[in-house]
Amino acid sequence: MSRLLGVIRGQKLALVGLAVLAFFGLLAVFAPWLSPHDPKEMDAPMLPPTGSHPLGTNDIGQDILSELFYGARFSLLVGFLSAGISTVIGVVLGVISGYYDRLGFTIMRVVDVFLAVPRFPMMVFLAAFLRPGLWTLVLFFVLFGWTRTTRLVRSQILSERNNGYVEAARMVGASDFRIIGRHLLPSTVPIALVRLIVEFQHVILAESGLSFLGLGDPTVKSWGTMLHYAFGYPTIFISDVWVWWAVPPGMCLTLVVLALTFAGFSLEERANPRLRRAWRRGRITDTPEHG
Amino acid sequence: MRVAQYLITLFVLLSLNFFLPRMMPGDPLSYLLGDPSTDAPILLTEEMRENLLEYYGLNKPLAQQYKDYLLGLAGGDLGWSIYYNAPVSSLLLGRLKWTLFLSGTAAVIYVTLGILLGAISARNRGTKTDVGLLVSVFSLGSWPPFFLGMLLIIFFSLKLGAFPIGGAQSPGAAQAGGFGRVKDVLHHWFLPCLSLVLTHLPGIYLLTRNSMLGVLGEDYVRTARSKGIREHRVLLRHALPNALLPIVTTIAMRFGFMIMGTMFVEVVFAYPGMGTLIYQAGAARDYPLLQGGFLLMMAFVVFFNLAADLLYARLDPRVRRA
Amino acid sequence: MSFIFDTLTWKDEEGVIPWLADNWDVSEDGTEWTFTLHSDVAWHDGEPLTAEDVAFTFDYFKQHQEAFKWFWPMDKVEGAEAMDERTVVLTLTEPIASCHEALIGSLPIIPRHIWESVDDPAKFTAEEAVIGSGLFKLVEYNKEEARYVYEANADYFKGSPAVDTLTFIKVENEALALETGTTDYASFWGKEIEAVRELEEDLDCQHIEGPSFWVLQVVFNTTQPPFDNVNLRRAVAHAIDRAKIVEQVTHGGAIVANLGIVSPFTDWYNPNLPAYEYDPAKARDMLDELGMTDLSLTLITTGGFAREAELVQADLEQVGIQVEVQAGDQSTIDGLLREGNFDLAINGHGGIANPSILRTPTWPASSYNNEEYDSLYQEQSRATDEEERREMVWQLQQIIAEDLPVLTLYHPKMWTVYNPSKLDTWFYTQGGVSLGIPIAMNKLIFLER
Repeated sequence: MSRLLGVIRGQKLALVGLAVLAFFGLLAVFAPWLSPHDPKEMDAPMLPPTGSHPLGTNDIGQDILSELFYGARFSLLVGFLSAGISTVIGVVLGVISGYYDRLGFTIMRVVDVFLAVPRFPMMVFLAAFLRPGLWTLVLFFVLFGWTRTTRLVRSQILSERNNGYVEAARMVGASDFRIIGRHLLPSTVPIALVRLIVEFQHVILAESGLSFLGLGDPTVKSWGTMLHYAFGYPTIFISDVWVWWAVPPGMCLTLVVLALTFAGFSLEERANPRLRRAWRRGRITDTPEHG
Repeated sequence: MRVAQYLITLFVLLSLNFFLPRMMPGDPLSYLLGDPSTDAPILLTEEMRENLLEYYGLNKPLAQQYKDYLLGLAGGDLGWSIYYNAPVSSLLLGRLKWTLFLSGTAAVIYVTLGILLGAISARNRGTKTDVGLLVSVFSLGSWPPFFLGMLLIIFFSLKLGAFPIGGAQSPGAAQAGGFGRVKDVLHHWFLPCLSLVLTHLPGIYLLTRNSMLGVLGEDYVRTARSKGIREHRVLLRHALPNALLPIVTTIAMRFGFMIMGTMFVEVVFAYPGMGTLIYQAGAARDYPLLQGGFLLMMAFVVFFNLAADLLYARLDPRVRRA
Repeated sequence: MSFIFDTLTWKDEEGVIPWLADNWDVSEDGTEWTFTLHSDVAWHDGEPLTAEDVAFTFDYFKQHQEAFKWFWPMDKVEGAEAMDERTVVLTLTEPIASCHEALIGSLPIIPRHIWESVDDPAKFTAEEAVIGSGLFKLVEYNKEEARYVYEANADYFKGSPAVDTLTFIKVENEALALETGTTDYASFWGKEIEAVRELEEDLDCQHIEGPSFWVLQVVFNTTQPPFDNVNLRRAVAHAIDRAKIVEQVTHGGAIVANLGIVSPFTDWYNPNLPAYEYDPAKARDMLDELGMTDLSLTLITTGGFAREAELVQADLEQVGIQVEVQAGDQSTIDGLLREGNFDLAINGHGGIANPSILRTPTWPASSYNNEEYDSLYQEQSRATDEEERREMVWQLQQIIAEDLPVLTLYHPKMWTVYNPSKLDTWFYTQGGVSLGIPIAMNKLIFLER
């Protein structure tokens, strides 16, 4: 009974998460229509929240609310693209390395190297090069994001490939391609989805972190950049500007990450039985969210 | 065999460590001469540049520098920091102690708390307790670490005046010594530690919860229960130890990433740890320091990965028997 | 450094004053300087400061130029000789303009008995390295924490300092440090004017305003198209609203810059330069005439000037020029500037009042080649007659304003905010301290005058 309750509660959380994500997604898509001003338009700087500027203006007079809406675009886009692409790559490589042993060995060594390279300090390197635009950022995140997915998918494949139905398919003479496509790939879907969500979270936090440190593109409207300018303002510690300038983008980031967590959580619940089995065979230390 | 793998990885990383900083455009000279945006400018002719480059050994052919680097490493010499004008190893050690202090204490706290809360959640899966814990732990832990840090500073340091806004100790406190110094260090430690704990708690919590759930469904637990053993005994004696296995190995691996994990918090709180050192070294293109710092971080990761592997082999009864 | 070491001459609000040297003589051609030293000056360790130390200093700095990073024009120094206990003769290969600022008033005199056995000065970090003759002794030095503690030198030849200890610490936020009383003094410039305003409201502090001699400018890459064309540069000058940048970005913390780079607050400022009013229509016309209506360029800058870059980008978009902004850190930008790998850059420099500001490492060495300018610059750095020199410096500014290798944007102002109950003798030295550095912390504030 408690188990049933758990599933239902899990569902509710997931729904809340998905709803919040949808909300931000819509914000991002309809930003141009929802924003009261063009975020590049400059009015008097540092205005407190008033009629035409519900959240006031920033240090060069741009409307903060509009910045917020457009910021959703950039942050969500980078997250989605990076997570999506790296998950796809991760799954493909994971399946290959799980199914073909020799190739798998090489791939896993590469994974080892990548995993040992510290992610955040690599950003310090990145900072030296000219501030990355959207695609450079995506490339950077994809470069680091595929490794864990590969590991997990590989574990999954390793345990699946000796399953009865796979044996059967092979005896009947099905091609490798068919076995992979028909039988093995679908089993990776729950893990892939969980990884997608987790990567999305990582990327959003990382991108905003980079921008906050001033290592992103300073002319792009993103939540992280807003925080960068807000917290860098000379009077940040001796006045109240942070309330309307720093809190909104920070809260948006938090809400998105939280929403992703809840959405992913219920997925994880469902994937749980599968994971339990994988844990027994492969490295138990690999979990989808923080392996 | 495993060890050999790690050695290869280490070597590749060492080489990367050497080449990557030098791939960054710019060189240490701009920073050496002071920040041109605030200090007096100096006119550097090409000749002067050459002289400076030679003085710091920067104009030798790349292959030569690489060889020097590897030889130096073998001898334990990490080089001389161009920016700080001091040996790299002493700089690293000086900073490392703060990072270890901060992340070590934070780790103890969030691991203990995470396991405790995770076990409670697993035991009461689906109930209000479980969901309540889920929601609260995650609500607190989903904040971007730098945002959380700044908010904590604004609320606790500025509004309430209860804590300092940064640093590891007050200027001059190092001299004071004794209990006063301990109090001062703790005073500076509290907020950054809090940030770290809140950020890392959800990870351990969820891991414990899932691991316990996995274990609680196992046959031997059901057997223990049907034998009539009391619930808390079942949890403590039978379920938890097995559930802990993946957690322990994960934590061991996590330790490897300790230095990286604290970077944002260190920067926001101006805590003098490895994170801020690497950050400054990067900006100043201080090659020797960057190399030394990265080396240390990577060594950490490799070492703890290896430790995790060995630990796992030791602890898992199934593997041991096999 | 000027606290622990002394120089031969120094400066107060008005100009050069004697310091270690009681008086001095200079030859007609400006290459021979004779100094008579003040008597009874001692080093912190008790040894007397003599002419030998002075002569040694000049020779030592000349020998070890790279260790001291070429702050001083030692290649123009031929040698120095101690004639007797109190007389030194300094011989130059050629006259040095503004010699006091460039050399005599800024080169720290070091003790011979300590440094004569030191071969590698850059690595000399022992305690004796900071023994000087100055009004303060350095008792604690921690570069990592950026913490320096000075103690008063009670036996100082000009009298005992007004404060017993002076501590410099690194704080995360200067405005906050002032508010909490952690520090008694902080300086701000440019956009930070907001902090000054806020502090004035909150606290019992006072502030003085001074010039920073600094300039922010748009640098054109004149070594390659399209900015090798001076008319395009002029068109861009008309397209950028400099006053607006000053207002929107610095909130009144700066003044629109002199097109000739030299700050209006110095003696060398030329007020008669051509102007390029903000006129986007005119800019568009000029672009049409040039046939350059569809330009797409890159602008590089450091993160600190991203806001200015945004405005420049918007202004240029108005006249049909697409600009992509790329920000990097200072090292990267320096590298790119040196290589000539950019179209536009927003960069700043300066910080000294000396006209040597007109020729700096970030430009035009890499992106502006004008022989007339270079030779004129060399000449003025040799000039001994001030009027002559002023004329040449004015001409240099004229060349820049006409040729526009850079379009200057603004000169930030500077403020020193301080706690008057601790010390209230702060002032901004005319022409800057020592090399021409605009800080209010001239060591004279600690001495009775």
